[in-house]
Amino acid sequence: MAARAIWKGIIELGKHEVPVKMYSAIEDRTVHFHLLHKKDHAPVEQHIVRKDTGKDVEKPEMRKAFAITKDTAVILEPEDLEKLVPPESREINLCRFVAPDVLGDQWFERPYYLGPDGDDADYFALAEALERKKVIGVARWVMRKKRYVGALSALNGYLVLSTLRRADQVLSFSGIEPAKTAAPSANELKLGEQLVASIEADFDPELWQNEYRKRLCKMIEAKARGEKLEPVRAKKKAPQQSLAESLRASIAAAKEKKVA
Amino acid sequence: MPKAKRSASNESAEQLERASAPVRSFWSGTITFGLVSIPVDLVSAVRPRQTAMKLIDKAGHALGRQYHCSKEGKKLSNDELVRGYETDDGKMIEITDDEFESVAPEMSGDIELRNFVPLEQIPPLYFNKPYFLAPAGRSAKAYHLLAATMERTGRVGIGSFVMRGHEYLVAIVSDNGVLRADTLRYADEIRQPDAIGLPKKAKGAAKKVTEFVKEIDGLMQDKLDISEMRDEEAAALQKLVEEKQKDKDAVIHQTNLESEDEDGASGGAKIIDLMAVLRKSLSKNAVVTNAQGGPPISLDERRAQKHGKKAATRKAPKKKTSSARSTSRKKAKRA
Repeated sequence: MAARAIWKGIIELGKHEVPVKMYSAIEDRTVHFHLLHKKDHAPVEQHIVRKDTGKDVEKPEMRKAFAITKDTAVILEPEDLEKLVPPESREINLCRFVAPDVLGDQWFERPYYLGPDGDDADYFALAEALERKKVIGVARWVMRKKRYVGALSALNGYLVLSTLRRADQVLSFSGIEPAKTAAPSANELKLGEQLVASIEADFDPELWQNEYRKRLCKMIEAKARGEKLEPVRAKKKAPQQSLAESLRASIAAAKEKKVA
Repeated sequence: MPKAKRSASNESAEQLERASAPVRSFWSGTITFGLVSIPVDLVSAVRPRQTAMKLIDKAGHALGRQYHCSKEGKKLSNDELVRGYETDDGKMIEITDDEFESVAPEMSGDIELRNFVPLEQIPPLYFNKPYFLAPAGRSAKAYHLLAATMERTGRVGIGSFVMRGHEYLVAIVSDNGVLRADTLRYADEIRQPDAIGLPKKAKGAAKKVTEFVKEIDGLMQDKLDISEMRDEEAAALQKLVEEKQKDKDAVIHQTNLESEDEDGASGGAKIIDLMAVLRKSLSKNAVVTNAQGGPPISLDERRAQKHGKKAATRKAPKKKTSSARSTSRKKAKRA
């Protein structure tokens, strides 16, 4: 079942133009619930009301305000806000290309696949070029009256455009120097590396399932059939030892596991 | 050459206020790998955009959300609400709190690292939300050991943990000596190109690939230009607000303003000072900046500056904790 494109744009790279369609790369697996009135199980309706009187307020009466302090805000009229809307455009402008490790994971917000809009050949050529250079493009565009910053990359031969967080959202640290008493010794570092090596693996996302979601769905299905399920859980606790002892014991345990 | 660093101007006070703004502590628990355990506190590593609006009416009264029964039309209080699941055939089943509880993940408080994988093997589209981890209790040594080991091996720990009733897949990464827990999307939350209906992978024309490569080479840079990552909408909004502030009629005084965007008002977690926490638990010289950076500013300098007043007006609004109403609204979405 083919998904519907949420937007169409044109990637601008030098004098080249690559028309693309945009699709969400995320499948919403959230189990959604409705809020109901307990008594009659009728769905609830949400009204916007004045907090002091509790009276309903209709849409034309509503305004937006921007808070400047805890108890002071500025009313922004619709015509004020209209002025902030960026001019409409189909262009996805590539500002620069960087090595993938220049853009830390914490920048990435929401991924979209791009698909060709008309010309398949140019689309796949661009993906190939990105893959060959092993780079990420920093892009800016306007979509549905909002400005976006994004990262254009190739994944398995297809283009992915992820929206990025803005500069003042991303926090980072510097000047971290462990206190002398907290600095790991050379021996501990060596043991640490051995321990990491003993449980190293390739990234395989298929190994991980959202168990809670599974249990939730099972429970709902059972209830729909009029049954009830017994909850199943298990838990263990790790003992407390010195750091070096823990490291050695862990490596030994991991080795045993590998042999078994 | 574009410069990532900006000089210390009159903007620095605002930057500093933003950079060290309090963030929410979400969770305390223990990273375990093998038999090693490291107690940690978790705080958000990203902050909300400075664009959130409040709901008011024309005259400036604070507005809020109120649920009504669609059948009886009367107002409902929070304890009159239940959650219902709509089956495929349109039947509505009530799911009670006890039933949610019966399948809820155990509040284990452990992030058990099951394996260490090369960071570059995780495609960026898996990354969801980053959190900083601060060592809690007497765990500083093991904390530094894990950070140093991951930095030396280029590997990140993969595990899962339970936070606020949800189960998260997570990558523990070391970033400049600070551990971060980046939540990951599950594999079934990532779409595949063929499921979307994208055409079968094809080879681009060699000539075209070469042309694109040439264009890419021309735009290649060693680092980001932070000015390209700026929040232009927030900046434009800020300018508008400053202008409107001169208009007395536009300024209102209300204490219980509610966020226009329901997701904008995130749960009632306690607010803590990120820098203070990490300095105390990690390193006296720790400095936190946003990517817009500016010169690193220490906590003491910040305090001094605050006491010195002059820049005490905070331009960026602080998020308010959500009302009980929007919290209960949130409850409607689970898993």
